[in-house]
Amino acid sequence: MLLSHNSLGWKLKYSLYVTSGAIAAFLVLPIIFIVFLSFGSSQWLIFPPPAWTLKWYIQFFNNPEWIDAAITSLEVACLTSIIATLIAMPASFALVRGRFKGRDYLYSFFTLPMMIPVVIIAVALYSVFLTLGLTGTMFAFVVSHIIVALPFAIISIINSLRLFDKSIEDAAVICGASRLQAIFKVTFPLIKPGIVSGALFAFLASWDEVVISVMMASPDLQTLPVKMWSTLRQDLTPVIAVASTALIILSLFIMIIASFVRKQSNRH
Amino acid sequence: MGLQTNTMTQSPLVCLRELNKEYGNFTAVDHINLDIRKGEFLTFLGSSGSGKSTTLSMIAGFETPTSGEILLNDTSLINIPSHKRGIGMVFQHYSLFPHMSVRDNIGFPLDIRKVEKGERDKKVDEILNLVQLGAFADRRPSMLSGGQKQRVAIARALVYEPEILLMDEPLGALDKKLREDLQDELRLLHKRLGITIVYVTHDQDEAMRLSERIAIFKEGGIVGLGTGKDLYRKPPNAFVASFLGNSNFLKVNVTGPTSAQLDKHHIILDDLHEMPINQQALLMIRPENLQVLTHQQAENEVLLDGFNQISGTVNESVFLGESLTCSITTPSGHQLISKNIATEQPDLEPGSTVFIRWNSKHSSLYSKWEQSDINKNASQ
Repeated sequence: MLLSHNSLGWKLKYSLYVTSGAIAAFLVLPIIFIVFLSFGSSQWLIFPPPAWTLKWYIQFFNNPEWIDAAITSLEVACLTSIIATLIAMPASFALVRGRFKGRDYLYSFFTLPMMIPVVIIAVALYSVFLTLGLTGTMFAFVVSHIIVALPFAIISIINSLRLFDKSIEDAAVICGASRLQAIFKVTFPLIKPGIVSGALFAFLASWDEVVISVMMASPDLQTLPVKMWSTLRQDLTPVIAVASTALIILSLFIMIIASFVRKQSNRH
Repeated sequence: MGLQTNTMTQSPLVCLRELNKEYGNFTAVDHINLDIRKGEFLTFLGSSGSGKSTTLSMIAGFETPTSGEILLNDTSLINIPSHKRGIGMVFQHYSLFPHMSVRDNIGFPLDIRKVEKGERDKKVDEILNLVQLGAFADRRPSMLSGGQKQRVAIARALVYEPEILLMDEPLGALDKKLREDLQDELRLLHKRLGITIVYVTHDQDEAMRLSERIAIFKEGGIVGLGTGKDLYRKPPNAFVASFLGNSNFLKVNVTGPTSAQLDKHHIILDDLHEMPINQQALLMIRPENLQVLTHQQAENEVLLDGFNQISGTVNESVFLGESLTCSITTPSGHQLISKNIATEQPDLEPGSTVFIRWNSKHSSLYSKWEQSDINKNASQ
């Protein structure tokens, strides 16, 4: 390659290091900042914190509103992830294996929620669920989150299915397995990394979703990001930093699992 | 039908009848008729797009024929799905299950058939011994060599005792040396097991090395069927002659039932043909059947009965170790290639006049041909 690392002069090399470092810092610093603040003693989120404390964590865990919101978030994200993956699996097979007119358009259609501004989806869903009288229900949360999570699951599963050598499945069929048996015994185990990371991305898409959730929420049922947003509008408390930290930690955990799954799949 | 009639009359194992496959306007397989005998090693040989793989896919059940019939033991396979046909198949890249051990790969067909565990293990062990892979039973396919993978694939395809084994260019991706080793291994395995094998390849050497019979595919049809020896020595048409090995083609004028005119030379033919006098025909002689003699040799050695002789000028002779090839132009401008054992051949200087002899038994005559059939003529 023309721009290989070794062929660069030291000036270029170091300016590359500096730029990359700056971009990384730009992306990561706010996250580190907020984690520090969650342990700071200042009511007003002063940085650097004058002293360290766990009292905001105690407040967070002793407040049923925060805990309920966190549990709701988890429930919604889990259900969204499972259902989106279950829908994405047959859809991916149809989009990869199918030979029908308009297949490519259908693929674009399935990924459309990634292109459309979320606020438009949110308003549309809000008006639908309002007329149905379903706002503020778990059903509304899950259905609306599936819409934004589905493209992530589909893209991930489609990619692994495209890389999968179909003749392995055919080999199972000629060995006596029905097409469905072959898919369950051979294809699924081999594209499992794609399915798992699709499910994880769907989980994340739901876990940090805020725009739609704000519309779907009711005082009784809200997700963690919604609770943060509404709290933020009333007063600025370090408990928000605690909630942020909780969000970040789970997201980080999911990302680590996803990269681990991907690494494992490369070993085959 | 009892068991006795089965052993007495050797009815074909698989029959293809007017088998046809069309994709839109493109005819991939064009009304093929073929009988596959029990226990034989039959190879479908052809270039890509000739219909050989599509035909194999239809036997396996991965493609549905547009029309025609496939019979296995006189029973139609058309409406039987792949997994119920009881056919064994080895794929191009072996297509082993990477997430299973060698033992589980081979046991898979038995597990699907819900064979009882004790019997399953016994059968797997038997076939592991047969293909000499006992020591590798617990390995994953990714830890095997190409040859071992081939044996696992064959073992997996044979463990449920199919009546026929299909192989779709299983050696295509390997280098020449390994390929030849595996070909030998496969031929020995076929001899030992006596199973019917249908093998697809585009490599004529591979077809020759492996098969008892070869079916040569061209544009969706079978244009030659027979043993490699017969197809090579007496090609049924100019395409087969040109496709299988190298060949010299000469346009001649038929002058009698066993004679023809090549420019000013009178040529003896061995074939008794029924072509009308004065029709143009194509004479084919293999390069190794052309003897090249110097002026002196030609004077010393009498022209034997049944032999033809014409003169020519040497363009170039190339020493290839075991053989010597020589390109020669006849006075009327025909280009000929000869190939002879190098030790028996004197040096032939470019520009020198030589005499070319061939036994009329070793030539073939065709009344119909297309220019595209013979364009590959001695290109190697």
